[in-house]
Order: sequence, then C-alpha cells, then structure tokens
Amino acid sequence: MADKRVTIQATRYDPEKDSAPHLQSYEIPFSDDSMVVLDALNYIKANVDGSLSYRWSCRMGICGSCGMMVNGTPKLTCNAFLRDYWPRPIIVEPLNNFPVIRDLVIDMDDFMHKLKSVKPWIIRKQEIPLGAGEHRQTNEQIDEFRQFSECINCMLCYAACPVYGLNNEFLGPAATALARRYNLDSRDQGLKNRLPVLADSEGVWECSFVGECSVVCPKGVDPAKAIQQTKLDTTLRFVLPFGNRD
Amino acid sequence: MPANWWTRSRHYFLYVVREFTALPLAVWLLWLLVEIKRAGDGPARYAPHGSAAFVIFSVVVLAFSLYHSVTFLSLSGLIIRVRVLDRNLPSGLITLAMFGLWAVASAVIAFVLIWFAR
Repeated sequence: MADKRVTIQATRYDPEKDSAPHLQSYEIPFSDDSMVVLDALNYIKANVDGSLSYRWSCRMGICGSCGMMVNGTPKLTCNAFLRDYWPRPIIVEPLNNFPVIRDLVIDMDDFMHKLKSVKPWIIRKQEIPLGAGEHRQTNEQIDEFRQFSECINCMLCYAACPVYGLNNEFLGPAATALARRYNLDSRDQGLKNRLPVLADSEGVWECSFVGECSVVCPKGVDPAKAIQQTKLDTTLRFVLPFGNRD
Repeated sequence: MPANWWTRSRHYFLYVVREFTALPLAVWLLWLLVEIKRAGDGPARYAPHGSAAFVIFSVVVLAFSLYHSVTFLSLSGLIIRVRVLDRNLPSGLITLAMFGLWAVASAVIAFVLIWFAR
C-alpha cells in the first residue's frame, strides 16, 4: 500500500499569466484507502505545489465548499474516494458553468444573487414577539419541507444543469429547492414575495427537466422535484379562482 | 457550453433523445390536421395517406407518444400533492390514479371514434 501512487490532473489557471485553463499532472502517494480527492489536493498543496488554489472547509460533506468536477462529474471532493478511480488518473476541474477565478476556484456571485432573490428565510406578515413563545410544528409539517432543507449550497446541481449552462439567467435548481423549502414551511407567509422570481420567464419554467441536478446532489435533495412542484403550484394559482392563498 | 455537451454523459444523451422524439410527433400531428381539413372538405377530397412507410412512421410515433405519456404519468406521483385528512396521499396511489384516468380517457375516445366510424 505504501508504494501505491495515484495521478491527479488538476486545472491550473492564473488569469494574469494564462490565456486559458490547462491541466497539470501530479503523482502522489495513495497511502490510505480512505483517502479522498480533497486529501490528494491537500497533499499536493502541502508537499508538492503550494500555489494550487481551491476551496474547502469542513471535510465532511456539510459546508458544501469543496465541489469540483471529478472525472467530468460534479462531486464534493471530500466525498470522492480515490479508491473508486484508482488506478486511472483523476482529473479535477472547477465546477462547470461558472467563471473561473483561479485554478479550481469558481466565481459564485451569480448563485449568491439568485439565492438571495428567492428570500430563503422565514417571512412573517407580522412578527410574533419573542416572549409569545415558539412557532410549534407537527412532525408532518416538518416532513413537508425537511428534504429541501438539506441543501448545503454546494452548487453541484448548477454544474450539472445544461439549462443553466446554456442560459445562466435561469434561476436554477438549488435556489428553487430552497424557495420551495420555505414555501412549504407552515411558519412561513412569504410565498407571494417569492412568486415573482419563481414564476418569472427565467424561473421554474425555464427548466426542461433534465433531472441531472437531483442525480448529483450529495445530500439527497431532489431539486428537479421542487421545480416541477413549483410549476404545478404556480399554474394552479394562476388558473384556479381559489388558488391564491397567502 | 460546448456544442457537444449532450455527449458528455449517458443521462444528457437520453435527455436529448427524449426531447427529439417530440419532433416526429409534431410532424405527425400536423399531418393529422391536414387530414382533418381534407375530411372536412367532403368525401371526394378525403384520401388518407395509407402507404407502408406512413404506417411504419405512425407506429414509431405511437411508440414515442406512449414513451412520453408513461414517463410523464410516472412522475405525476412525485409532483402532485393531494392532502386528505391532513396527510399527503401516497405518491404511488396518485400515479396509479393518473394511469387509470389515462386508460378511461383512451377508452372513451376509442368508443367515440368507433361509434362515429360505424
């Protein structure tokens, strides 16, 4: 095991020097079967090439910051085991469909604007004073939105979505899933604040249901389902006279 | 996005195939409109296309439309939420109901067509 080695080909791009991103190959020890791609990148940065840039934080699939393309598929690199690829070389690239700032670091501003536009927080018409006690929910009420609240904003779904790749005005999967999470929350009263964004021409109707967003989600969220449910909801609200609940 | 993005994965490829099956369907439906117009002009003008090639084309289009119907109705259980007594109905039941409605609608249409053809 100690002699086993793995080849990592990582995207390198310095906008001040390079005209386009290119791959650089690193051969490193594959010393432990539990090694993940992020461990390999950390090894390269610590022992081979300290200039390699990438984002990471928690190393346990919670923070959502280490998403990259691993052999062409959007993955959390902390959850992509080298043993699943070895002995083939592993190609690590920045997430598809986003501008690259440097090496494996993408510019996530567009996603952050979209996320903010759907107001992913509980909106009340009138805030209840803290002293009045908590908003109680039944288990069934929590189950309504629980799945969508698992989203960690890792943006793998955006990297997998060809609709977003072809038209980055599209609101996209994660922002819609999080809007759905709050629209389904019994404590929330902000549906009408979110509808103009969701039902916009670049909102849910732009989705042609490729479904890859749900396939790549590392947390088992089903953004494609959230989008299709929102399509049905917005349609019913439009055609039914009693469809406009607050 | 490169023009060949849909060749990157099997999933993308199948998605594009699914989308393209709608094209022959649209062509067949346009032809149906032409036939309806001809039928409206009287028996002398009505000459339905009966060549072997058109029959084969129609069978292929029927397969495409069945494929779209089955995939669409299979997803209905995931998308449609019906609350009864404060609980959501199981998605399997909704899917089954949609297939049931499809079968009933098909039977009614078939009955009407056969009835008028007599």
